[in-house]
Amino acid sequence: MTRVTVKTTINHRKYELAPDPNQTLLDILREELGLTGTKRGCEIGQCGACTVLIDGRAANSCLVLAPQIDGKEILTVEGLASDGRLHPLQESFMDHDAVHCGFCTPGMLMSAKDLLDHAPHPSEEEIRVGISGNLCRCTGYVQIVDAIHDAAERLGKKERIEN
Amino acid sequence: MPHPHTIIGKPARRVDALGKVTGTAKFAEDYSVAHQLFGKVLRATQPHARILRIDTLKAAQLDGVEAVLTADDIPGEKAFGIVIKNQAILALDRVRYLGDGVALVAARTKEIAERASALIEVEYDPLSVVSDPEEALKPDAPKIHGDDNTFVHHKVRKGDITKGFAEADFIIERRFKTQFVEHSYIEPEAVLAEPLEHGGVRITGSVQNLFSSRRSVAAALTLDLNKVQIIQSTLGGSFGGKDEVMTSMCCRAALLAMRTGKPVKMVNTREESFLESYKRHPYVMEYRWGGKNDGSITAMEIRCIADGGAYASMSPFVTWRSAVQATGPYYCENVKTDVYAVYTNNNYTGAMRGFGSPQVNFAIESMMDELAERVGKDPLEIRLQNGFERGALTATGQRLNHTVSLKEVLTRAAHEIGFQEKWSRYRNAPDGAKKRGIGIACSYRGVSLGAEGADAAGAIVSVQTDGSVIVSAGITDMGQGAQTQMSQIAAEVLGISMDRVQFLNTNTSGVPDSGPTVASRGTIMGGSAAKNAAETVRVSLIAAASEMTGLPADTLDLREDYLVDASTGERLSTFSELAAECFRQGKPLYGFGWHKSPKTSWHDEEGRGEAYFTFVYGANIAEVEVDTETGKVDVIDFVSAHDVGKAINRNTVLGQFYGGAAMGLGYGLLEEFEIEDARPKQLNFDEYLLPTSMDVPRIHPIIVENEDAAGPYGAKSVGEPTNEIAAPAVVNAIFNATGKRVFELPANLERVLLGHALRRTSDRGAVLKDSANDAESCKTRRSRE
Amino acid sequence: MKPFDYIQAPSITDACIAAAEHSPAKFLAGGTDLLIELRRGNGNYPRSVVDISFLHELRGIEATPDGLIRIGPLTTHSELSSSALLRKNASFLSSAASTIGSPQIRNRGTVGGNVMNSAACADTVPPLIALGASVTLQSVEGRRTITLSDFFIGPYKNIARGDELLTSISFSPLPSVCRSSFVKLGRRNALSISRLSVAAVLGYDRDGRIADARIVPGSAFPVWRRAREAEQMLLGEEPSDKLFTAAGKRVSEAMVSYTGRRWSTEYKEAVITILVRRALEMCGRG
Repeated sequence: MTRVTVKTTINHRKYELAPDPNQTLLDILREELGLTGTKRGCEIGQCGACTVLIDGRAANSCLVLAPQIDGKEILTVEGLASDGRLHPLQESFMDHDAVHCGFCTPGMLMSAKDLLDHAPHPSEEEIRVGISGNLCRCTGYVQIVDAIHDAAERLGKKERIEN
Repeated sequence: MPHPHTIIGKPARRVDALGKVTGTAKFAEDYSVAHQLFGKVLRATQPHARILRIDTLKAAQLDGVEAVLTADDIPGEKAFGIVIKNQAILALDRVRYLGDGVALVAARTKEIAERASALIEVEYDPLSVVSDPEEALKPDAPKIHGDDNTFVHHKVRKGDITKGFAEADFIIERRFKTQFVEHSYIEPEAVLAEPLEHGGVRITGSVQNLFSSRRSVAAALTLDLNKVQIIQSTLGGSFGGKDEVMTSMCCRAALLAMRTGKPVKMVNTREESFLESYKRHPYVMEYRWGGKNDGSITAMEIRCIADGGAYASMSPFVTWRSAVQATGPYYCENVKTDVYAVYTNNNYTGAMRGFGSPQVNFAIESMMDELAERVGKDPLEIRLQNGFERGALTATGQRLNHTVSLKEVLTRAAHEIGFQEKWSRYRNAPDGAKKRGIGIACSYRGVSLGAEGADAAGAIVSVQTDGSVIVSAGITDMGQGAQTQMSQIAAEVLGISMDRVQFLNTNTSGVPDSGPTVASRGTIMGGSAAKNAAETVRVSLIAAASEMTGLPADTLDLREDYLVDASTGERLSTFSELAAECFRQGKPLYGFGWHKSPKTSWHDEEGRGEAYFTFVYGANIAEVEVDTETGKVDVIDFVSAHDVGKAINRNTVLGQFYGGAAMGLGYGLLEEFEIEDARPKQLNFDEYLLPTSMDVPRIHPIIVENEDAAGPYGAKSVGEPTNEIAAPAVVNAIFNATGKRVFELPANLERVLLGHALRRTSDRGAVLKDSANDAESCKTRRSRE
Repeated sequence: MKPFDYIQAPSITDACIAAAEHSPAKFLAGGTDLLIELRRGNGNYPRSVVDISFLHELRGIEATPDGLIRIGPLTTHSELSSSALLRKNASFLSSAASTIGSPQIRNRGTVGGNVMNSAACADTVPPLIALGASVTLQSVEGRRTITLSDFFIGPYKNIARGDELLTSISFSPLPSVCRSSFVKLGRRNALSISRLSVAAVLGYDRDGRIADARIVPGSAFPVWRRAREAEQMLLGEEPSDKLFTAAGKRVSEAMVSYTGRRWSTEYKEAVITILVRRALEMCGRG
């Protein structure tokens, strides 16, 4: 098994990596780059704790082989805040107590970001579909759904101000 | 001096939320240090067998392997257990379930450790397996420990059961079954064990009950308790589940670390977690009630058998709570309850949110609806008729001398959703493919450990010279928000804002043994300890302030980060200046608080006692849509009403309401860890089905607050009560919709459509007998049945 | 995950050569099934993994000049769900794709992977069979096109050799008079595996009689197939509850006759009847 070369952008930074091909994107993030915000939960794409964005779309990083991210842009929870300012989702998750044990939170945030990036005014149903690949055992999802609603509104306001 | 609370009762942000939304929060697997080794457990391949030989030579010779250990290498106690010390850290001469560890490997990489463990040769002599608790009771069943598989028998006795049945107009007899449930914390188990420079070991990991794990590590390694330090990493959920399974992981990692002299990291895969970890007890429950035609209950005879699995674990305590609460919050003069726990070759069973109550509540609340049906009353009416009020005498002979809010939670929940109107409308609806139904369930629950054992907890509040505050406690945070609530209490007492408070993750070497964080005792015990600690510091601060200002202490107050003259409201100094002044005056700003619970008692032989020092009351209502042609049940609305005493943090209380209900719905409809012939069938979340965001409805919370003298600011419990009655509410709703009752959980597609699950099963939950003591009592049976 | 050789294929031809030279090989597309298999590590562990996920020519949905709809095997379930072309010409395929797994799985998982994995519960397969879709397989030895109903030979089994790459899925659009539906029954409302499913198509003639009927149940037959017995019953008839129920019963009987009575039959025989009726009902009454 020979290592492969992978050029990728992770959280807006360019990397040239040489993973073993049998490593997953999750392995690379956690073990090579120290980006431990992305969580290992089930390793079969069922719990969603390892969700990251690949070219803007939510994906289970446990189901992506490291070489597959060549040329792709990856965003993890560590890259969600920008210029030292939290993303509105991060603020609203804290305000709505959508964070309990916190283990599902990074993945949940990334799924929510994909959702709001592509559907800025989601209905409750759309929100629930958007996070349906992220298992949470603590919250019953209620406060998470509320937080995403609220973040959509905050983002809408921000956009109106910026325009 | 008393003024309205500024922090208590308000929705504060969690103190640990920022790290959790930015990814900096460190969970157990996120800890790594230089030169760490990876530990791996070789587990049993037979559910019940004698070990004839273990050959570790090939594994030990593999390049990169630094240690291969078996039970022989444990210097001290080779088994642990909270009540009965029979759980082997590594199997000695026998394996008792498939999760048993047989040998350990420490290697430079995970891959090498895996390869090495595959090279260990174990020769087994298979023994007969017993996988069904009722089989395990039979005299000729294979014995798991000693010569009797029954290791617990709790009884409750009140009145005269024979007389009670003689007085009855009719008898209802039903049999219920519940399933194994996996806690399903999304974070799998992990630890990092590091040898300490002065001898001993430090373990950082996903441990729920640090002090009991520490006791076992110390005993296994023959170390003093002060040489074993366990630090709780940010815990990714536990729900009662990171106790013994973590104790064994701590012991194993510590053993490898001490043997190699290097840090050792151990992480379970999800499959290992399912395979080894303990589960919620499956129960077989036989309920026999005598009733009068007016709807009152003359006798309750109850027999429960809990599958304890391979080890004793918490079974003695779990089943004791079942016994105490087995009649539900209902008046009945004549009670005979027997609860047994038996060993099998299944996964051992232990603590899980609810702790013996979800099982019996499923039976009780189903029985209550059966009783209502029998006497022609509606489910609310029958509960209001039979439900406890202040001064009631429980089945264990305890007088309830606090605010008994059962009827308040029932009526408020019913009013919120229009229960009675919907119930009768749905009941009389014409047949159709999709049918609506509504169901109610309620409970009472003893707070904290009760007569299980010593119940005390400690906390430390320490004000720094700049006015910032550090709080630490023996009660741990698993995601439920204990750190936030204790911080809020400290901030309230000190009159400061929450952002001054830093909570430290629990460290066994930093705080006194506070018992386990279980039994919904976090707020009432930990919160009280934090309050005491903060009050100690407050006394120092006020004394220093009095000296500084020349004003009498009783006119001084701490509010909104200032020292104020309470009579005028004038701000005299900032909190930070006051803290600095204390330091100059040499006054200590370190407060240690300890809280011991009021006395409880239990008489084993008589089966009675003052089981708990106070109780909480709750009611849930589920509205469902049943697809009568496929058996699919969707929960479309849900009301959760609980008396919490006082909500310290409105947000975290609501979080418990929602999360508890969701877990209860999973229990009622989806979740089942199946074991056939001692072999588990589900080992990951593809087959073990948790509710997703599409399965949990909006939940309408009703926070009822009857402040209780026993808790800080009147607060009691919320974590477990919210989880214990959702399942019966759903099952009763299914009955309302279809006229058919589900006697086994979960109420999945097959059970709802066919009345039974599709698998080999010895026997089922069912109507056992419905007999009339007089001729007329059948008149209320529904025509369509 | 045990080691394997990793080959990133720059073209379809290279992918075929790599698969032939490094056999046994597995093609990596979305990875949502393959990575689970590799992690589990049992059975026929491949010597090499040929990554085709960069082959853009295998992506996309298009109407071909000869009037067919052609789907590149790397098209994701999300893309199937949101495709206007499919919504118009084969809406039940979009619907089926939107019920798969979760958003994360749908963003990565591909229709080609779904077909090649050949699980009995694969949700895109019933609509594809109802559409009479063909698949094109390519290898160093050449190319062959097979109708999907001849492709499967059992659960997780199909006739493709290990070195054959699926390069195209194509079918005729549904006639405009036809309506299609997909009904899925899972244990929960997301992340759900089909306990049973039904894809159905109904077309009516001018008199309101059924002129085109296609029924393909999922997780029911050991090998995917149209329920011709039931379809025959429908042709030339006017739609009614009674007729749709009778068709459902016919599918149920066929299922039991093919699978025999198994542990799950007691449930499935009752419910497949219902799902067929519902799927037909959803297609409308002309």
